[in-house]
Amino acid sequence: MRSWFYAFVSAAAVALAALTANLVWSELRPENVWGLVYGSVAAALLVAASALGVRRRTMKASSRLGAGRTRAWLDFHIYGSLLFLLLLLMHSGFSVPTGRITWWLWALSLWTVATGLVGRLLQKWLPRVLASGLATEVLYERIPELVEEIGSRAKTVAESSDEAVRALYDRMLAPALGRPRRRWIYFVDVTGGIQSRLKEFGYLRALLPDEEKTRLDELERLFRAKLEIDAHYTLQQPLRWWLYSHLPASFVVLALLVLHLYTVLFY
Amino acid sequence: MSKKPKGAKGTFSDIELPVARSYPRQLSRRWMLRTGALAVALVAVAVAYGQFFRGGRWASKGALSSAHAAFGADCSNCHATDARSVTDGKCSSCHEKFGDELGVYTFAAHYLYRSDDFRRLVPSAEETPCYACHVEHEGRHTEITRVGDARCEACHFASFADEHPEFDFVAEAIEDPAAIDFAHIRHVREVIKHQRLEDIEAACLYCHNAQPDGRAFESISFDRHCDSCHLTTTTSTPGLPIAGAVDDGTLGVETLEQIAERGGPTSRWVYFSNPNEFRIRGNAVVKSPLHHNDPWILDNLRRLRSMLYPDAGLADLLPVSPDAEPHEVRSLYEEAIATLEEQVIGLRGRPEPEIQAELSGITTLLERLKRQVADPFAPLDETRFALALDQKTKELEPEREREIEALIAELTQPCVQCHELKAGTIARVQKDQRVLRRAEFDHRAHIIQVRCLECHREIPIAESLEQEAASSDVTAVGDVTHAENAADRSAIQNLPGIETCRTCHASQQASDRCVTCHYFHANKSRRSDLLLYLDETLDETLDNNPKGNPDEEPTS
Repeated sequence: MRSWFYAFVSAAAVALAALTANLVWSELRPENVWGLVYGSVAAALLVAASALGVRRRTMKASSRLGAGRTRAWLDFHIYGSLLFLLLLLMHSGFSVPTGRITWWLWALSLWTVATGLVGRLLQKWLPRVLASGLATEVLYERIPELVEEIGSRAKTVAESSDEAVRALYDRMLAPALGRPRRRWIYFVDVTGGIQSRLKEFGYLRALLPDEEKTRLDELERLFRAKLEIDAHYTLQQPLRWWLYSHLPASFVVLALLVLHLYTVLFY
Repeated sequence: MSKKPKGAKGTFSDIELPVARSYPRQLSRRWMLRTGALAVALVAVAVAYGQFFRGGRWASKGALSSAHAAFGADCSNCHATDARSVTDGKCSSCHEKFGDELGVYTFAAHYLYRSDDFRRLVPSAEETPCYACHVEHEGRHTEITRVGDARCEACHFASFADEHPEFDFVAEAIEDPAAIDFAHIRHVREVIKHQRLEDIEAACLYCHNAQPDGRAFESISFDRHCDSCHLTTTTSTPGLPIAGAVDDGTLGVETLEQIAERGGPTSRWVYFSNPNEFRIRGNAVVKSPLHHNDPWILDNLRRLRSMLYPDAGLADLLPVSPDAEPHEVRSLYEEAIATLEEQVIGLRGRPEPEIQAELSGITTLLERLKRQVADPFAPLDETRFALALDQKTKELEPEREREIEALIAELTQPCVQCHELKAGTIARVQKDQRVLRRAEFDHRAHIIQVRCLECHREIPIAESLEQEAASSDVTAVGDVTHAENAADRSAIQNLPGIETCRTCHASQQASDRCVTCHYFHANKSRRSDLLLYLDETLDETLDNNPKGNPDEEPTS
């Protein structure tokens, strides 16, 4: 990881030195020799950085071919894309292109790199947050199924309970256990104020006989688990969905790159 | 606790949630790939639509500049089939219909740079097509004439701050070619006094009258600027001996009557001259008052000069000497043609049929000459004038030669108060005050921020006048002192060096780009000839239909 960072810093320094020389000796234009070199290197970096997707979808074949660790590919994907962005800006003279193809290529490249960085930050931050304050771990795709399971169990427990526990279930638990819920509070506090929401169980427990206390404790555990699953549901969703903002755009960037190269070479 | 269902793989968490029976498939990834593929397909559809229904404009690098916007509908308006570049011919089809090798937009015209100095026509390996400098498809509001310095640096230098050469007149100490005896300080003093001005620079502008756009100044004119003080009614020639008054071959000037009697095409002015301006005393004649460009003096001067230079050729057609700067050579031809036209008018009164028969041909010839001279790209040779006055006759005795020269000196005595004599003629005054021929300078843009004398300080005008004001001995400083005379001669180029420009034109200050002061296509003459830009079809119509009837079908 660190070696990739140093390699990136070195390459960026070389690029900036070239930019300085370019500004001293020539104009910063996409079509002159300097600009064409920036553009060519940027295009090569874009294609190479995109190879991560291929590597991910051909894990077995890549391993057999000794294509290296996915982690190395990911590091290259990240730092190569950052370098691509720098060279893209140098190629375009740090200005917005006016052609349709070039404008979209430039804008979507920026978008793709930006969403990639956002995704990288989310991947760094959210798993750590989820692991730090929650007792339950669930896969995002299983959340609806598990919430349904919890709801079903809670309903069974509530039906066998007395009036007071059922009233608590009807008033507070049944609406909350119906489906997964997103709450923005989890981005700030991963526990989402679970303890305060469980206070009513404490108040009621003091008034209940022992047998009902056991049922109330079961309901409390189910409710706590549901709230933690809600936290997962809220925080895992960006981890799944940021790729929607990144991957399709990167497909279009590659397609536009092909068109751009075609227009440069043949027009 | 729920019973473990059949096929379950166990439970997790404190509420014993069931572990998934199989690895949950991430549906979102599949949709993501489909979305990406759909987006790419949309791009492909858009490109195909652009290719087949919008003339391939999808490949455009960007919108054309405003001036070319009308051509954007069809790429082939500018691009050839390979579409990579635009040939210069495509540009010149609109910009330079006349398209000769010295056209406005050629490198040759750039080398000349309004100098009319054809020695500058040295081709360079760095010559590039139009599109290399004028980059199109940069957006509607792009000024494609704003060419970056790097384009110039291929042949010139890289930096205005460090490498721009000093102006020629400073670097090579070239004197002002005004050819006139003139002192600025004395004249500023007189203007301030007579016009009751308080500002020295107002006195400057009293004579240096800006052109309508404020960029440069009109030429100094005797009638407008000098006449009120110079050549007053009392100005006269000394007594000059009359030619042929004594039949001993004594050298002299011709009187008005003698010139009228001699006749000839050059003497038409005699009929409009006032005989009372001539006083004959014995064998001598005095003319008073005198006029600027006095025809009597110039006629006699031409006659005397022709004794020294009998083969003066074209120079004989000029009222003054032919020593013009290369960029002013056109004016020599114009003056010569004007003299010939004057002579043609003189000959119209002659009854001889053979002369009248010739006049029509001569008039046609003169018209053709005028068109040729008016063509800014027609090379004109100034040496045809100058060389003629280099050939002094060898047939005259030295004594006789000195006599002629002495008489010329006497005849031009009032003239040489200001003018110089050169080869028996009045030296040509360089009226054009423009010194920076290869650069643009806008006085109006500068005087808003800088006063005249802050830049034009080679002649210490302000200092001298301040010194005079501070002195009680007005008469002593009122006269032209020797020191002042040395510091204030017309030969001094009262212009700043490039360092003065650099005080403001620098990075982070006023622009120091090449195109701030220089044009690449400097010669803008003939652009007002709008006939050049008419559509070719109209040209053909006119060619086939000389009478210009637009309703008539052109003949094949």
